[in-house]
Amino acid sequence: MNNEIIVGYDGTGCGHAALDLACDLAKGLGSKLVIAYGYQPYQGAGEIGTQREIMRDQGQAFVDEGVATATGCGVEAEGALIPQRPAAALASIAEERDARMIVVGTYGDSPIKGAILGSTPHKLVQIADVPVVVTPAAGA
Amino acid sequence: MSNGERRASGERDRALGGPTPPAETPSSAASGGDKGLKGGAIGFASSVVIGVASTAPGYSLAASLGFVVAAGVGLFSPAVLWVAFLPMLCIAFAYYYMNRQDPDCGTTFTWVTSAMGPSIGWIGGWAIIVADVIVMANLAQIAGLYSFLLVGIDAPSTIAVTCIGVIWIAIMTAICYIGIELSARTQIALLGAEILALAAFAVVALVRVYAGDYPDSIDPSLGWLNPLNIDSTTALINGVLIAVFIYWGWDSAVTVNEETEDPTEGPGRSAVVSTLILLAIYVIVAIAAQAVHGEEFLKQNKDDVLSALGLDVLGSPLDKILIIAVLTSAAASTQTTILPTARTSLSMGAVRALPKIFARVHPRYQTPDFSTLLMGGLSIVWYFGLTLISEDILGDSIAALGLMIAFYYGLTGFACAWFYRRELTTSVKSFFAVGVMPFLGGVTLTYVLIKSISELAEPGKRDVLGMGPPLAIAIFFAILGVVVMVLQRIADPEFFKRKPSVAEPGSLAPKTEAAS
Repeated sequence: MNNEIIVGYDGTGCGHAALDLACDLAKGLGSKLVIAYGYQPYQGAGEIGTQREIMRDQGQAFVDEGVATATGCGVEAEGALIPQRPAAALASIAEERDARMIVVGTYGDSPIKGAILGSTPHKLVQIADVPVVVTPAAGA
Repeated sequence: MSNGERRASGERDRALGGPTPPAETPSSAASGGDKGLKGGAIGFASSVVIGVASTAPGYSLAASLGFVVAAGVGLFSPAVLWVAFLPMLCIAFAYYYMNRQDPDCGTTFTWVTSAMGPSIGWIGGWAIIVADVIVMANLAQIAGLYSFLLVGIDAPSTIAVTCIGVIWIAIMTAICYIGIELSARTQIALLGAEILALAAFAVVALVRVYAGDYPDSIDPSLGWLNPLNIDSTTALINGVLIAVFIYWGWDSAVTVNEETEDPTEGPGRSAVVSTLILLAIYVIVAIAAQAVHGEEFLKQNKDDVLSALGLDVLGSPLDKILIIAVLTSAAASTQTTILPTARTSLSMGAVRALPKIFARVHPRYQTPDFSTLLMGGLSIVWYFGLTLISEDILGDSIAALGLMIAFYYGLTGFACAWFYRRELTTSVKSFFAVGVMPFLGGVTLTYVLIKSISELAEPGKRDVLGMGPPLAIAIFFAILGVVVMVLQRIADPEFFKRKPSVAEPGSLAPKTEAAS
């Protein structure tokens, strides 16, 4: 196992909550952070070219921002931009890098709402093969 | 921070923030590296389903069959339905080859811009957006009406239908905004139910016609399929213009196929299969529908032929199956009309042909949120406004839609032939598939367009400013489009300085996986 913690970060309040917690954990455990963002446009309705590019650029900005924040807190961090749906992206990079755990934020969706809207933490806890830490976003 | 350097490393789909790139996951959807290529993400059955579901056969028939008949083609509407398919087939070739060159979500906008220049490309994109706003209103009308029919209210007031219709638009927009995705299996189930319901209707109707259950029924004849039996060319053309609408969306079957199957295999079996299914549904249901009570009945009930016939043919409560089929069809078509259109305006925003905010993608829902919400809002405004102004909202807006679809499909056909003009002589296949077919499609649709405009320009019964309402609608949006384009050009002239380009030599040669 690598001493790495994967953080799902999307620039929103939810991502900030996850990043804050992950920084604390990384300090305590001496881990390195991997700031991850998964993106994939819905593919069932024709071409997606430009949308994919915009999402990639936007994701790169999130990842850069997350890495900067973590580095600013004194934690070693790198970014990972993965062209897959968020939950699948986090699970696959955790498996690939044999990470210690995944940290994500949640908006506090109920199970039904999560099932309808496709809540990332809901999916992630079922498909990840490493521990998943879920933290509520501020105000959620 | 040194991430800028890494971003420029040439990794198109898998930009990495770290010094050690993680190994490729086998499930990585973007393994092709080419933008938009899905690398076999969608199987054969799913791409057939997407092809058929994109055209929403139940909703298309409910909304337009009566109007095709009312265009004056008499009992020969089945002939019009297949004739209208021919120019669409030609245009599908244009979609296929332009998509191969640049699988961008701007489709007509992107392709026409690169082949013919930014202004005309912009107008093509505008036509897509306007057509979408109008079809949403139309869809809402059908969905609102059928919602009442489902619960057994047969003659709801216009206000009630409009209110439910607006709620429908709001829900559909929310679905696209939040990015709720139907799984392939759900889509197959929904479409399967829709086709089954339409088939049940057609079979029962025909059996009862031959059994002599209806005093005013007409026995089907093969002659119904022969377009030469239609006396009036004008009627045929008007019929085709409306019938073009029922194949709208079919092109996404062709472009999706490029991404799903072996690229060396050509336009794919699933496009062929979905086409045959569609043609069969349309022609058989049309034959069955007019056999029951003749074409006059369809004319009288042109707003909703299927529900009008459903009760007569299937009886209660089985007629509800047909109503549910139309409702699910209308709902399913939102994913295939709103989404590609929001992506068109996203694409326009990305190259600054529209304000940058159109290109915004929601970080959590990963959808073009601004584009989607604006489309929904405009549709609601349009639907309300049109309900107040015109008494015959459905017919006028469908005929206006036909004008716009014919315009931008035709434009795409010409753009394809023009873009590849120097490659056409490289092989006989290229000459016909990339040159002749798209060009013919463009010519046919332009002819239909001009003929129809001159018809509509004649004073009629319900005129707006001395012309038919559909033409008034189309002209209003054309002028509005030019105004918006000029404003955008003043605000941000960069995009409008683009020069047309031409296909690179050898771009029609068979693509190999390694090339990407």
